[in-house]
Amino acid sequence: MEIEEKLALLNYKTDPEYEHITINPKICETCPDHFCTFACPAKCYTLIEGRINFKYEDCVECGTCDVACAHGSVMWTNPKDGHGIKYKFG
Amino acid sequence: MSEFDVIVVGAGPAGSSAAIKMASQGLKVLLVERGDPVGSKNVSGGILWGNDLAAIIPDWEKSAPLERYVERKVTSFLTGDSEIAIDFKTKKFQEKKTGYSVLRTRLDSFLARKAAQAGAMVVTGVTVDSLAMKDGRVIGVVNEGETITADCVILAEGPNPRVAMAAGLVGKPNDRTVGIGVKHVYKLGENVINERFNLRGNAGFAGEYVLSFLEGDVYAGGFLYTNKDTVSMGVVINMATLRKNGNTHSFDIMEKFAQHPFISSLVEGGQLQEYSAHFVYEGGYEDMPRAYGNGYMLVGDTAGFSFSNGMILQGMNYAISSGILAGEAAIEARKDNDFSAESLSRYQKKLDNSPAVLDKKNFQGISNVVWSPMVHRAIPALLESSLYSMLYESGKPKKHLSQIMMKSLKSSGMNSKDLMVQGYRLMRRM
Repeated sequence: MEIEEKLALLNYKTDPEYEHITINPKICETCPDHFCTFACPAKCYTLIEGRINFKYEDCVECGTCDVACAHGSVMWTNPKDGHGIKYKFG
Repeated sequence: MSEFDVIVVGAGPAGSSAAIKMASQGLKVLLVERGDPVGSKNVSGGILWGNDLAAIIPDWEKSAPLERYVERKVTSFLTGDSEIAIDFKTKKFQEKKTGYSVLRTRLDSFLARKAAQAGAMVVTGVTVDSLAMKDGRVIGVVNEGETITADCVILAEGPNPRVAMAAGLVGKPNDRTVGIGVKHVYKLGENVINERFNLRGNAGFAGEYVLSFLEGDVYAGGFLYTNKDTVSMGVVINMATLRKNGNTHSFDIMEKFAQHPFISSLVEGGQLQEYSAHFVYEGGYEDMPRAYGNGYMLVGDTAGFSFSNGMILQGMNYAISSGILAGEAAIEARKDNDFSAESLSRYQKKLDNSPAVLDKKNFQGISNVVWSPMVHRAIPALLESSLYSMLYESGKPKKHLSQIMMKSLKSSGMNSKDLMVQGYRLMRRM
């Protein structure tokens, strides 16, 4: 089963006004490893034409990218007001 | 005058246990949870081991939303072609339960309900942004620029404690202290689960696996736990080896485990209900932060309470026990009307005599063994080739086991002295 199909099973309450994780594209431009694209279990980080594309909407708030990025590009915070992932089982 | 005696940040097992303990003794408690409803952000394997809840919920085995009790415990090496396992099933676990499979959305909402019944105020969907500080001590929490005051704050944020990190109370997690946890939940039905895992009634199966078939020197462990009518399956991926490999996706490792022929057959026909992920705290004794200070205490994963020795993976039990001890400390501090670091050091004293700290202390260096090439590659290869040689009837005269093992050892490229030394270390540390 593809990761995209698995993510499609999940419920989110997306916050249109607040991106709880942001990246610094300038840092990502010079990144030698793009380890975030391998570490993130929700495939939020993809490399499109050599540039990191980040989708906070698919984030499951696992915390991995903040540890994975060794270059200080990831600014990680919790979503606000009950937004974000809503697991049914957990 | 503070608005609350204690504010607890995070309604997981640690936070809710602390809140239940304190509220039932008359303290004015606010339990703040960012998820709405409680539990909707939380992921565990998960087996709740032990009997720690009994201290705050005497009838927990009857009233809590438990899935199945662990009757059959498997510890297994998975190679590409083979599975070599210790399969321990005992009636003793029927008579005296050692652990139950749980689903966190259910367990956590139950515990938060108990906290509310005990008199705590529970708010959900509220993210604490930071601690409120005054004159070097914690005086409450800040949400959207508003301060809510308390004499003490208990941080129960889980393994990724943003508030505690921002305040400098815990270090930033790193490759050594973090594993990437990824999980599937499948719906299979009660009868199918009973037949497939050879179980009856509410008896359950708990399996842990060394995934030695993974390519590219990435190390990961797997787990498979039966719930009532669903199965929880997942992996914990070692961050350092994944980084070193640099070419493998965490979500592909989860899929590879799910696709392994001896694993996929166990959930065949099952429908994937949920995909989830959270990093797992894997730090050792040396990584543990000081669990108290002026006006605050740390509990559960936030304080570094988790344990793994390869055969046992635990966290929720320490979360509950540390939450209860922090609750006790707060009750005593309330009596003394003193929430200074000196007064709250009584929490540390309680911890120092508890399994939460002692297990951590007595198993220092265990993660070097759990994530070693010996456990993840050499031992499974040696066992596989030895057992295969012994059990395959070639029609030729048979060899002694010692001869077979020596031959397997030679072909594995490991030298026997290294294996002896490392094997001794493994047995000693485990």
